[in-house]
Amino acid sequence: MIRVLKPGLQTTIQSRPRIGLRHRGVPSGGAADQLSLALANKLVGNKWDAPALEATLIGPTLLFDKSCSVSIAGGKVATTLNGAPVKSHECIPVRVNDELAIGGLLSGARVYIAFSGGLQFESVLGSASTNLQAAFGGVDGRALQAGDTLRALARLADNAKTPDEFRPRSLASVALRTCEAMETDLLDDAQRTVLFESKWQVGQRADRMGMRLGGALLDVTSDGRMPSAAVFPGTVQCPEDGAPYLLSVDAGTVGGYPRIVQVARLDLHILGQLRPGDRLRLLRTDPDEAVDLLRAKHDYWREWLPDIAAII
Amino acid sequence: MLTRSADDQFCLSVKSTADAQALAVQIQESNQWLDVVPGINSVVVRFDAARMEPDDAEYRLRKIVDHGIEPLAIPEQIVEIPVAYGGNNGPDLERVCKSLEITQPEFIALHTAKVFPVELVGFTPGFAFIGELQSQLHFPRRKEPRQSVPGGSVAVADSRTGLYALSSPGGWNIVGRTSLRLFDSAAEDPFLLSPGMRVRFVPLQNGDQQ
Repeated sequence: MIRVLKPGLQTTIQSRPRIGLRHRGVPSGGAADQLSLALANKLVGNKWDAPALEATLIGPTLLFDKSCSVSIAGGKVATTLNGAPVKSHECIPVRVNDELAIGGLLSGARVYIAFSGGLQFESVLGSASTNLQAAFGGVDGRALQAGDTLRALARLADNAKTPDEFRPRSLASVALRTCEAMETDLLDDAQRTVLFESKWQVGQRADRMGMRLGGALLDVTSDGRMPSAAVFPGTVQCPEDGAPYLLSVDAGTVGGYPRIVQVARLDLHILGQLRPGDRLRLLRTDPDEAVDLLRAKHDYWREWLPDIAAII
Repeated sequence: MLTRSADDQFCLSVKSTADAQALAVQIQESNQWLDVVPGINSVVVRFDAARMEPDDAEYRLRKIVDHGIEPLAIPEQIVEIPVAYGGNNGPDLERVCKSLEITQPEFIALHTAKVFPVELVGFTPGFAFIGELQSQLHFPRRKEPRQSVPGGSVAVADSRTGLYALSSPGGWNIVGRTSLRLFDSAAEDPFLLSPGMRVRFVPLQNGDQQ
């Protein structure tokens, strides 16, 4: 048993996304940064999508009553085991009565804490992932609270470290490859220049639903509404007020605002690490080129994460 | 019309919501797509760009479109939705009726007179868009959306009724509430409604058990 002493700011159980239910209104959800979830699980010998903790901005403090192995990947964070510093991207053996304290994130927005054997949670609609809006999955569909208990398997993983070349760098300034979407045409040439040349800033209320992008306002040549149509993680909508909104993993599945651009699949995992105030560029990318880049990225990562094509 | 709408998406534009539903079912049958999501007048298909060439995805979709849209059979069954209208259950009903210059009983009589099709399920799990309201009932959405609309709320906006399966923020005008569970993640089939189904609203009298 693992006891939650402090829950952190918003810590949830996350695993694989829910695929193929968007036409019933169920968002894909799952880890907001699937690559980091996979990296954490790899270090404790799990399948990439074993249920783990996703902590947001401030991590939890956990007390163990069994020996097991844990690992941490994602944003930059200071962690202690019984007061002594331990590192991310390394398998950490813990023993009975050990206390693991994950601090505030120094960069990035989320860290993933994986446990050997995976956290034991039932699958709901194909995944153990927590959906906070609809309140299902994980611990009763909610974020962790002090006093919650989690079940992992008492087993120790072999020592492992993530090789240097597979440790993602956290940056406070990122560029996302994006492709034209269905309503990009509602922006004239000048407005497209604003879209692709502006340095956008992630809004204060960034969460698993999405984030407002500040820094400029866009003028769409319509009344700002259209017949409801499918949206996805990475869709950038432009509501009536002209401030673009970037959808993330838990966003609604259909929307009525113009879809002005779509983040390409290969960069979707980065959305999970964007925190309020981060700077962001949207790079105009040809869709076929984005597919080529996705496959090249898969080829790079496959050596460390053989399932990479299911992860990103 | 078939349009590439991102690196791994194609959008098919259609004439009607019924066409969108029928086409989505036809595309889904081939069972080779990550998502097939109908909208009011479109279907968006997401393919697995790691395994399928974009040209190949386009070719397969074009073949389905060229084959023509086969209308879905209209289901015999009509799902009855009991609704407690007005008062605390429908806090916007009074204001909507005043603006539409009809009485609340007139609104309820019209809203319960017709069998309506489910046009779309989406936004949140189980949220149902139900069309098309009689023109006397068309009313714009609220200028200021509510931070929280209770689950079970029956609401109207523009030409549609929306059923809030779960509590969520929302801008539709709440006219009543149903006790039916539209989404239950623990049930074998978690969804009460799906696109193409037909519903009728049944008014609960004051004092009826919700």
